Amino acid sequence: MTGEAQFDPDGPAITATDVTKKFTLKGSGDGVLALQELSLAVATGEFVALLGPSGCGKSTLLRLMASLDRPTTGNVTVCGEPPDAIAARHAFGVAFQDHALLPWLTVYENIALPFKLAGRTPDDVAIREMIVLVGLDEFVSARPRQLSGGMRQRVSIARALILDPEVLLLDEPFGALDAVTRRQMNIELQRIWLRDQITTVLVTHSVDEAIFLADRVLVLSGRPGRIILEAIVPFDRPRDRSVMRSEEFHSLADELSLALEPSED
Amino acid sequence: MRTGRRLIQDYWGILLILVAWQAWVIVNQFNPIVMPTPISVFDALITDPVLFLENTGITFAVALVGMTGGMIIGTSLAVATWLSPLLSGLVSPLAVLFSSVPVVALIPIIARLLGYNVSTEIAIVVIITFFPSFVFASSGLRALPPGSDDLFRVLGASRRATLFRLALPAAMPNLAIALRLAAAHAILAAMIAEFLMGTSGLGYLFAKTNDEFQTEQAFGTSIVATAISVAAFLLASFVERRVRSHFS
Ligand SMILES: Nc1ncnc2c1ncn2[C@@H]1O[C@H](COP(=O)(O)OP(=O)(O)OP(=O)(O)O)[C@@H](O)[C@H]1O
Ligand SMILES: [Mg+2]
Repeated sequence: MTGEAQFDPDGPAITATDVTKKFTLKGSGDGVLALQELSLAVATGEFVALLGPSGCGKSTLLRLMASLDRPTTGNVTVCGEPPDAIAARHAFGVAFQDHALLPWLTVYENIALPFKLAGRTPDDVAIREMIVLVGLDEFVSARPRQLSGGMRQRVSIARALILDPEVLLLDEPFGALDAVTRRQMNIELQRIWLRDQITTVLVTHSVDEAIFLADRVLVLSGRPGRIILEAIVPFDRPRDRSVMRSEEFHSLADELSLALEPSED
Repeated sequence: MRTGRRLIQDYWGILLILVAWQAWVIVNQFNPIVMPTPISVFDALITDPVLFLENTGITFAVALVGMTGGMIIGTSLAVATWLSPLLSGLVSPLAVLFSSVPVVALIPIIARLLGYNVSTEIAIVVIITFFPSFVFASSGLRALPPGSDDLFRVLGASRRATLFRLALPAAMPNLAIALRLAAAHAILAAMIAEFLMGTSGLGYLFAKTNDEFQTEQAFGTSIVATAISVAAFLLASFVERRVRSHFS
């Protein structure tokens, strides 16, 4: 088994094998162990949500997948390749905790940016369609500082999706939203996602959001992060609000919430 | 009437100084060669406006060309250090060294290389203005919006795209500060060079009139120089505000 192996489209799109990530901090000898011997696989076209207590290494894991960092030991592949290769061919879509919009560009230009960075001519029709999809058609030429926090996050989601990425990595993309807008955005994200079924990893603190959006939910332990629970979400798509009121939804949410609570030993 | 009142309200300090100056000279009965009155200085200014306008134009042009050159060189050096840490180890200490040498000491050397003419004066202004641009551009190229460098990496941006679409725009507010500082210094630097080299411009006019005991003209020259320095500074401040609001 070497890196030469052909990528199998029905196999996992993302794999992490025995991944350990240790940060060395200046002044402290041991450093911080963020992830320990973590393994997971995300199938092509699958939507996986990651839950876990704050500081358990969720963002760290996502950064490893996004080629922004390397594991201390272990291995991460995306579409059978090292993550750098995916970044180099402009096939990632990302939206992180800080929305990272460029303040000197308009909403339109921010969403067009991935085209420019991929050396492609921006597809005007696709960009305008995407702007409508995230409900910002009145703000096409607004600057980020003229938008609310939630609107900025929507721009960042639109930018993540505009190139039809092979892999979508989302780190608490709806963190700054109120509950109502958040639910709306969840429904919208599902709608967009159903269009192309992009392989997606979503980090979130909301159990409801995880169940509503994902095919599979993984719960990480406190630091160092390991997977302590895996739950398959049984609901058909498209899902709507009524799903959230079902008995099954509640028992799944209870199970996940329980796993998230700190154990007493 | 209203605007007149506004002007007095905003600038009565300057008016007070002028009146006090006039009174002080009259009371003490100074010789005009030692200390002219503001009214006679004003007189000198309007008797030969062409002389002042011409030399103001020259000084302004030297300052503008030198400042533009200085900012381009400073920014280019900053970009070079951004592109290569190895170059940074060469450029940064040299830039500090160069900017630490007193200009007065540099003038004879540069004059011998470039000749006693306008190019030497421009070179002096370049030397005075490149350093602030270098320092401010260097830090500006690294003051990126949070998360944007990660974004560019994940999206597979080339080094070139990262420079032109992220680092340089992010450096614009800092470059605008450098412009304001440079604008204030450029006129002064041009005048010092002209003063010491005695070729043309306001610095030369000041040296000449002062030597010939035309104190009114010498004072007039200083006042014109002050006025264009202030004007340059105000203009640059305006540009700075516009650039800041566009890029941040
Ligand atoms: N660059 C870094 N240098 C040092 N330590 C780091 C670094 N990045 C993360 N850590 C540490 O790794 C641990 C995991 O951080 P991470 O950001 O992955 O947590 P998280 O699960 O995303 O938390 P949250 O839910 O609060 O966002 C934390 O203890 C953090 O201090
Ligand atoms: Mg995080």
